[in-house]
Amino acid sequence: MNQEQIATKHYLHYPKGDFPPYLAYGFRAIFLLLAPYIVISILLWGFVFSGYISPFSPFSSFSNDMLSWHIYEFLYGVGIAGVMAFLFTGLPELFPGTVPIVGKKLALIVGLWVLGRVSFWFIDFLGVYVVAIINLTLFVWLISYAVKPVLLDPLQRHASIGYTLLILFCIEVWFFGAIAGFWSFMLLDIFKVALGGFMTLIILVLRRVSMEAMNEIITDERIDDTFIAKPPRYNLAVFTIVTFTIVEFLFPQNQILGWLGLAAASAILAILSDFVLKNESIFFKPYTLYMMTIFILMALGYGMMGYDHLNSQIYGLNHFRHFLTTGAFGLSIYMVMIIISQIHTGRHLTSNLFITFSVFLIVVATFIRALIPFFTEYTMIMYLSSSIIWALPFIFYSFQFFGYLIKPRIDGIAG
Amino acid sequence: MKFLLKIIKDFPAYLWSGWGALASIFLFIACWDLGAQLYGELVLPSPLKTFATLSEMLQSEKVWAEIIITTKRAFFGFLISAVIGSVLGLIAGLFATASMMSRPIVTILMGMPPIAWIVLAMIWFGMSDNTIIFTIVVASFPLVFVGALQGTRTIEDDLKEMCDSFHLPPLMKLTNLYFPHIFSYIFPAWVSALGMSWKIVVMAELLASNNGVGAMLANARAQLDTPTALALVVVMIGTLMLIEYVILEPIKREVELWRD
Repeated sequence: MNQEQIATKHYLHYPKGDFPPYLAYGFRAIFLLLAPYIVISILLWGFVFSGYISPFSPFSSFSNDMLSWHIYEFLYGVGIAGVMAFLFTGLPELFPGTVPIVGKKLALIVGLWVLGRVSFWFIDFLGVYVVAIINLTLFVWLISYAVKPVLLDPLQRHASIGYTLLILFCIEVWFFGAIAGFWSFMLLDIFKVALGGFMTLIILVLRRVSMEAMNEIITDERIDDTFIAKPPRYNLAVFTIVTFTIVEFLFPQNQILGWLGLAAASAILAILSDFVLKNESIFFKPYTLYMMTIFILMALGYGMMGYDHLNSQIYGLNHFRHFLTTGAFGLSIYMVMIIISQIHTGRHLTSNLFITFSVFLIVVATFIRALIPFFTEYTMIMYLSSSIIWALPFIFYSFQFFGYLIKPRIDGIAG
Repeated sequence: MKFLLKIIKDFPAYLWSGWGALASIFLFIACWDLGAQLYGELVLPSPLKTFATLSEMLQSEKVWAEIIITTKRAFFGFLISAVIGSVLGLIAGLFATASMMSRPIVTILMGMPPIAWIVLAMIWFGMSDNTIIFTIVVASFPLVFVGALQGTRTIEDDLKEMCDSFHLPPLMKLTNLYFPHIFSYIFPAWVSALGMSWKIVVMAELLASNNGVGAMLANARAQLDTPTALALVVVMIGTLMLIEYVILEPIKREVELWRD
């Protein structure tokens, strides 16, 4: 297989200079830090929330509100790292004029992300303004990198991603404003809106990732067909998710949310029809199943929340929401890591037992966490086991892919 | 047989593609719920209340009997209009004079409001099944007739000439040229006629019968029982959607595949 077949699309310009492999392309440094950070965060949270260790006072004002720390760090800590990796890797490909971020510049931006994580832990000492400035600066920088190619693109091919990022930035400002006392909102309500924003972003990103990953497999396996992620299906899913999110914020107890949840679930499941090709079947290829699992988990999340709103006997909204967070969000991050780590280090996109097992573990962890309302007597053990099981895939990732990340591309291309 | 096997093979994928439609139905139900919250349960019962009433209704054998009566009437009416409309439409399509002559009559039939036919049928047949079936036939027949007529009239002369120049046997001509072309016109006309039959049967029963879903609807109206009325509407729409989207649409897609 020659180089053209391994990486069909590439940046036009690569900065001059000699860069260490871990700083030779955006995703490398990010994933090297992200995987351990995910493991540490989830294990810490699992042990704290299940009562095995006490909240890590005194260095966080969130010691009494660990839930906010947990949600913020996963959405705006882990989530933003995933977005960074996607943009730094994807933009130079989608818009070939965009120069990849490498070397010192990459070290600086990744350093800012690390600072953001550490600062949030020390919010008591640093004050909300310092923490807000550090975290918001990272986001502003990210948006400024994406604005020119994405938002100013005359064809507006990927503008929806840019606008979603802008909205997520506004939600982060809203969050810090609420902590600083500028306005009075429940942080949990803000997080629910942010989660809706991230689910929208995942749908939009997966449309691009699916196109790349599926067609990569189709080309590799010489299948005579093309995978097309049909925009109307994704648009309907986004519309229903956004509607659900807005109505949930304005009327959190309204029964309409039941129907909207079911609508969102159906719209998300409709996306799966993309994986049925016209001439050939790719249905049982590993990556097809992995990508489909993300959509199924997301659909389960909205579907179960909808069911909860329509059924007065069940009180499991926030548990079912974990189909979105532990499930769809977690698996999306994992898949983005797996796919980028292979394709963009010059390798073919392949699956193996570890990857399959990891996906399975994320699904298992999600079900354990989300179905707690049906097994309340085992609540604590389910919290803890779900966290541990969810952490394992990222530990496996570290062992399996760190070697790829710290070594140059095997096809000899820079990056 | 090959045709049927292809439909069965594609059926799961087709069924799965229905999620998008289901999403818009749920969005519609959400709007319905909003309406119920704004105007109150008496004016517009909530979807949950309606579905609960529906579920209760479906426990009763009497309700099932009424649904079956309505279904039979609609089916017979549709069947008669499909047969007569298809045969006459095909004949009219074969002769330009018949086609020219039948057009204004069809326009008159289509322009006549079904409610007027019901009144006339009640005078002619009294309060009987005939009134209802007649109204269905007269309202649905023109749709099928026009479909069959157009199907026959629009066969391309070039294709006919090609068949002749290759001396295709009549059976092959029929199965490879006439049937696929005419069927692709006539089948959507049948689907429209079925929808029409379904609407007309309820209206006719409401005015001219003391049994069937339409009569139940009249009772619900008299007792201001809006949940039951809406539940009956759900039954009608649900049944029509089931027949149209689960049975007819897969056949239609297969029939029209050659157009691609």
